[in-house]
Amino acid sequence: MSYDYIEFGQTEKEFTSKIEEISGQNIFSCYQCGKCSAGCAFSNLMERTINQTIQLVQLGQKDKVLESNTHWVCASCMTCTVRCPREIDVAAIMEAIREYTLRYEAETIERLDLPEDLLKKIPNIALVGGFRKKSEL
Amino acid sequence: MKNSYFPGCNLKTDAKGFEQSAIAVSKALDAELVEMPEWNCCGTVQTMTADNLMRRIAPVRVLSRASKHVKELEGSQNSVTTLCSMCNSTLKIVNAEVKENPNDLEKINFQLENDDLVYEGDVQVKHFLEILRDDVGYENIAKKVTNPLEGMKIASYYGCMLLHPDKAKIDDEEMPTVMESIVLSLGAEVVDWPYFKQCCGSYHIVDRDDIVNSQVAKIIRNAKKTGANALIVACPLCAYNLDNQQLELEKQGVEKDPIPIFYFTQLMAIAMGLPQKVNHFEDNHINPKPLLTELGLIEEKK
Ligand code: SF4
Ligand code: SF4
Repeated sequence: MSYDYIEFGQTEKEFTSKIEEISGQNIFSCYQCGKCSAGCAFSNLMERTINQTIQLVQLGQKDKVLESNTHWVCASCMTCTVRCPREIDVAAIMEAIREYTLRYEAETIERLDLPEDLLKKIPNIALVGGFRKKSEL
Repeated sequence: MKNSYFPGCNLKTDAKGFEQSAIAVSKALDAELVEMPEWNCCGTVQTMTADNLMRRIAPVRVLSRASKHVKELEGSQNSVTTLCSMCNSTLKIVNAEVKENPNDLEKINFQLENDDLVYEGDVQVKHFLEILRDDVGYENIAKKVTNPLEGMKIASYYGCMLLHPDKAKIDDEEMPTVMESIVLSLGAEVVDWPYFKQCCGSYHIVDRDDIVNSQVAKIIRNAKKTGANALIVACPLCAYNLDNQQLELEKQGVEKDPIPIFYFTQLMAIAMGLPQKVNHFEDNHINPKPLLTELGLIEEKK
């Protein structure tokens, strides 16, 4: 068994508050039951589960949170939100992590480079939705 | 009865068959959908942020114009009707949010000044499925059926947006029945399946079609396993993902024997014997006509 030592100071607290502010959620309501991760249709594709991500947000571990693909794999289906026994809008926390990146670390995002034929083919709601969730547009 | 109708962008492009079949069905059931004037895109996905009012302006503008339209439209109730489940969810959520937060509404209304509009939070948002269930009634749908869908075994796919979150849901989020009840009133068989709201991958189709494909494979396999020969949907994005990506999976050799995807209103139009052109089946990726012909539900064109 190995331990991971973490910093926990002002910088960390600021990250936690920012996510709380953007999402409008009290992140400390989460008691780590894991129901959000169990019901998410995309958990198998996530490098870190949703409840692990939430715990890292509680601890202000910004780099660990942002380097995982969890919030980008999330498709905003809101299954977690309707099932959380603590009535946390879990999907809003995923959204807040995306927004944090888009607002403050936009340079780390790869630009979407979409082929012409795809643009012609896919529904416009996919494009508007995709751009709103994944780009600064 | 008349209903003010907000189309949203996709109903005019990829999903013409959804719009036109719904309008035809609504007229036949005396619950006519009348397009509201001067609508704009609602923004598709509602923002889940607590602090971004910009993203809430477009839906409020739609609601304010709808509230004007319902007052002018004779025989209309005080609600605006949607077909696309994403529009439905975005409009419902924002409507509830601004009612809860009058200060936000005031700021947004300030942005609508150039339009000479103020939204008072006074209109309701309904999905056409709710109109069919609550205003028309299943028995009245059944009465109009002249071509019962015998032989069709239908898996009702709700997707996420009709059932999540609480502010937007049109039915019980874990055990919905509205689509199944319509299927039954059309004389088709209902398939009981667990994947009715498993997310299709949504907007990931833009840059991560691998995510969508793995979802579509799971959903379609489950539908077939429970005996379905078709799926019904209420969202143009679910429709595209389930329809087009089945063909992609076939090309990749992962899946075979794709099954057709219908908007629920298309099947209603067929069962009610309405002119076939409203369905725009030419826009479907998987051609639904062979199944319909085989079951004798449409005439084969020579
Ligand atoms: S379901 Fe809610 S309480 Fe349980 S781990 Fe997820 S966020 Fe925390
Ligand atoms: S909203 Fe995102 S994190 Fe929550 S269940 Fe859906 S895909 Fe998973």
